[in-house]
Amino acid sequence: MASDRIVERRRVFQQYKADVKERGKPFYPYAMFHDTIMSLVVVAVIIGLAIVWKYSTPGSHTGTEAGWLGKLLDAPADPGTINFVPRPDWYFYFLFYLLRIFKWPETVILGTIGIPTICLVLLLAIPFIDLRAERRLSRRPVAIIASILVVLSMGVLTYKGATAKEALGSELVAKIPSWAASEGFTGNQKAIAGAKLFAVSGCLNCHTYNGVGGAFPGAPNLTAEGAKNKGIAFQIDHLKCPACKTPGSPMPSFQGLGQQNLTALANFLEASKGSKK
Amino acid sequence: MAATKLTRSQQIQQTILYPIDWLEERSGIVGGIKYFLFRKVPGDTNWFQTLGAATLTAFIVQALTGTILAMYYKPDPNGAYSSIQHITNDLFAGWLVRGMHRWGASVFIILMFMHMGRVFLFGAYKYPRELNWIIGVLLLTMGLGEGFTGYLLPWDQTSYWATVVGININGTAPFLGPFLAQFLQGGTYINADTLSRFYAIHMLLIPGAIFALIGLHLYLVVRLGVTSPPWSKEAAGKGPITNGKVTTGRRGLSRFGTRGRR
Repeated sequence: MASDRIVERRRVFQQYKADVKERGKPFYPYAMFHDTIMSLVVVAVIIGLAIVWKYSTPGSHTGTEAGWLGKLLDAPADPGTINFVPRPDWYFYFLFYLLRIFKWPETVILGTIGIPTICLVLLLAIPFIDLRAERRLSRRPVAIIASILVVLSMGVLTYKGATAKEALGSELVAKIPSWAASEGFTGNQKAIAGAKLFAVSGCLNCHTYNGVGGAFPGAPNLTAEGAKNKGIAFQIDHLKCPACKTPGSPMPSFQGLGQQNLTALANFLEASKGSKK
Repeated sequence: MAATKLTRSQQIQQTILYPIDWLEERSGIVGGIKYFLFRKVPGDTNWFQTLGAATLTAFIVQALTGTILAMYYKPDPNGAYSSIQHITNDLFAGWLVRGMHRWGASVFIILMFMHMGRVFLFGAYKYPRELNWIIGVLLLTMGLGEGFTGYLLPWDQTSYWATVVGININGTAPFLGPFLAQFLQGGTYINADTLSRFYAIHMLLIPGAIFALIGLHLYLVVRLGVTSPPWSKEAAGKGPITNGKVTTGRRGLSRFGTRGRR
């Protein structure tokens, strides 16, 4: 039967070509006229957005305060900041929020890689999944339902991402007092500062700590890292170049955080002697 | 040749046409452009089908404004932020060029999604246009890649921390993740080379690929023709043909197409 389908679709396409040749209109000027109008509209919208962006900025339209379309420019990048909430451009909000849905450590990878990859593969495969020649929407209920679901879910994820108050890091920061109580470093200010860095620097994307965080293959559970008594110097060197200290380690270097921050992180790790609960 | 004497206006005409003829003889470009402009499209194409051209326009705006920005931008952590300040606040119309690039990116991405939605709803990805759908999806991922790499370039807090998280997410991918993260960062952590690397990816690697893929995309559009809307009464090939007759009651092109075939 498949060969019948192939013969039929070839025939339909040949007929389409013959029909267009006989009855179609030339691209120039007809279709090109519409394309040109649309292109001018696009350029006008882009220029309009640029103007609104600048002239809605308060004051002399040059500062770092947010106008209607956001800031012209934020403060300079500071790798040492520990309380900055990372936020992508708006068209990545759906991905950004997808991460927040997967809170259980074992499923984080689903949100970061799994679902986006599956969606991309499905998108590429659409012409090979939908092999029918039918193009009228009234005869394509699955396509209609799928497109409504995609638009709805992208819309909801983007909206939730846009209105999300806290990023992953700030939720983790809220857990620090309970970590300190459980691990017994409540009075240790260096360790507390390190814990804040630990919460916001993405460590828990891979590592597990006190029951939260990711479980990336090869990333050890750090709940009782301090019990191994490797020493603060080792921890700092390891953070600077993980693969130098543990050959084959997939962990990235955190040298960019700076010596002071790394010392705090090392203090935190060494103070983490294991959950006493 | 010298037998007939040319009038003055004929001489002028010939002089003007000479370079065009020269080009045509050596490249066939005039014939190519004529073919592109005067190729037939279905009589009932509509406004939804201008979204592809709109997307292309947005990309051209990005390429032009990006080129101008590249003349003033300095891709190193010490100079990037102040060069963006210089572009935004000091240069003549610098704010406009940067604003157009910044918001043109959003418009480009919205238009890519809308164009894709139109192709999906029109069923225009079906035989024989499957390959063009795949190229389109690749272009979409490239466009998002441009958004990701371009976001870091102002080197402010927003862009820096979003990129840190973005690279970390890439890094969590099984097997390839750590290598991808290392490739993006130009090392094992975000450093001075990361910015110039993102800059190179943003303005050489991905745009080159986008230009090439757009070329292929358009080539296939011209080769395979534009689809008519699915509700079109004039759409070709409605209903199966038995003995050369259209069995369905639909009127329009399909009847004309089969006329005289027997």
